[in-house]
Amino acid sequence: MSLDASSRGPNIGAFVRRRRASWERLHALAGRVDTGTLSLAEVEELDRLYRRAAGDLAHARAAFPGSDAEGYLSQVTARAYASLYRRRRARPGAARDFVARRIPETFLAHLPLFGLAAAFLAAGMAAGALAVAFDPAAAASLVPRAVRDAVAGGRMWTDSLLGVAPGVEGSLIAHNNIAVTGLVFALGLTGGIGTAWLLFANGLLLGAVAVHCVQRGLGRPFFSFVAAHGPAELLCVLLAGQAGFLLASALVAPGEWPRGEALVRRGREAARLLALVVPLLAVVGVVESAISPGATFPGPVKAGLGALLAAAVLLYLVRPAARARAAA
Amino acid sequence: MSTGPQLTFETPERAVLSLDVAGLGGRALAYLSDLALIFLFWVTALLLYSFGGDLLRRVQELSAVAQVVAAAAFFCTGWTWDVLWETLWRGQTPGKRLAGIRVVRTDGAPVGFVESVVRNVSRAVELPLLYAPGVLAVALTRRHQRLGDVLAGTLVVKDRAYDLSRYAAPGALDPRWSALRGRAGAALAPADFERLSDFLRRRPALAPAARARLASKIASALAARAGAGDVSQADAEPFLEALAAAYASEGAP
Repeated sequence: MSLDASSRGPNIGAFVRRRRASWERLHALAGRVDTGTLSLAEVEELDRLYRRAAGDLAHARAAFPGSDAEGYLSQVTARAYASLYRRRRARPGAARDFVARRIPETFLAHLPLFGLAAAFLAAGMAAGALAVAFDPAAAASLVPRAVRDAVAGGRMWTDSLLGVAPGVEGSLIAHNNIAVTGLVFALGLTGGIGTAWLLFANGLLLGAVAVHCVQRGLGRPFFSFVAAHGPAELLCVLLAGQAGFLLASALVAPGEWPRGEALVRRGREAARLLALVVPLLAVVGVVESAISPGATFPGPVKAGLGALLAAAVLLYLVRPAARARAAA
Repeated sequence: MSTGPQLTFETPERAVLSLDVAGLGGRALAYLSDLALIFLFWVTALLLYSFGGDLLRRVQELSAVAQVVAAAAFFCTGWTWDVLWETLWRGQTPGKRLAGIRVVRTDGAPVGFVESVVRNVSRAVELPLLYAPGVLAVALTRRHQRLGDVLAGTLVVKDRAYDLSRYAAPGALDPRWSALRGRAGAALAPADFERLSDFLRRRPALAPAARARLASKIASALAARAGAGDVSQADAEPFLEALAAAYASEGAP
């Protein structure tokens, strides 16, 4: 700190008093952007005040570093910047565009990763099914005890699902599905190893349980149970697997970007897939708890519903490609 | 301003903005507040609902559509509370507002729907592990980002309440130090005035002994510089008030 009295710098109080009114006006205008009540003149005023505040901030940073005035200006300018440069969310076309084009395009752009996820799940299912088919005793280690006990008693373990309030049950199932699906996605951060393992493990369980039920004469009720929600649920898991492998690809093969940056970019793409998976899982959870258990709905109806649900989602995902081919 | 990590970004106008990054404490407070709010909501809802009699039977008696709606509502409060608030309320949930923090993108723009979904869905990994990965990630990363923040390209910044009234021109000056008028600006650098007004604002919260000691220390240092001669310990605070007032009344109106 200089002791030369003449060089202590400009007076910060005078600076703030001179400009404060316009900063506060800027703050008020920026706060009203969200409500959409600004007149054209006020929008122009906002823009002008914002530019001046940005200049004031540069001055404050040089002349009064670390002061409350600088902190306040930084916050107000950032607020106005956010209001002026926000991507308009109210534009009705944006949401429609996101649903109608962005999600399917992301799916198609990374189709091989979807295939990879399907391969791991299918390999697990084949392994589980073959193991129990050739050696029924393998069920002891591959099929959960609760399921084995129920099957040994000649009943489906899912019958008990109807015993509690379906609404509550549905939400619990959705929670569980989302947790598993989220894990399949997030384990992409292990370079895809965790995602591949989880897909394989789930396939293993599914294959083993299916064959075990068939061997004990419960094949019909089992397939009747999974027919309605199974296809869509598997689709959810595979899409989450695709998203997980997308994350993994950023770590394994980031291309021209640094890994952190690649992770953010592909993370955003993966999020588009999740934006489809999460609501779809909610639907699956409702079907699984309300329609799948018991014999309220006949088997063929469930199978038809399940096929329809999965087909509709697949059709939605490949539609842009079909349309592009038709246009070509 | 704090000396902790900052988010610094440049606007298209070449203005460099920097915001203070929020730490573990604020984020935990926000999370717990939101949790309490959701809990309170459900307790109230279930309480009101249970006035109608046997809760479970009534749920079972609902039509299929109503059951779906009930399930969806339950589902929504748990998983989409954060997404909806963050998207529609400029990156704040009620808990975050309480804690004075806000979610922004790493380029300073407000958080969008997609980013909010990513950062919140990834809680699926952290919740089963009692948030340990999240706490570790916030503690260890340079900009205090949770796992979901890294994936979504977002971070949480502090929303501070600045009070500009400290710069306001005061009324009368204590006549004993009227000589300070016109000389305070030469005695104080802007940073000195900041520290001085910090002290004047915070002194009610200080212990009396510490407050008197601090006041006389600052006063004796600044009195010499302002050429005001010796200031007794009892006069320390009135002197500092006068000095700050004299400084703030110089220059433009």
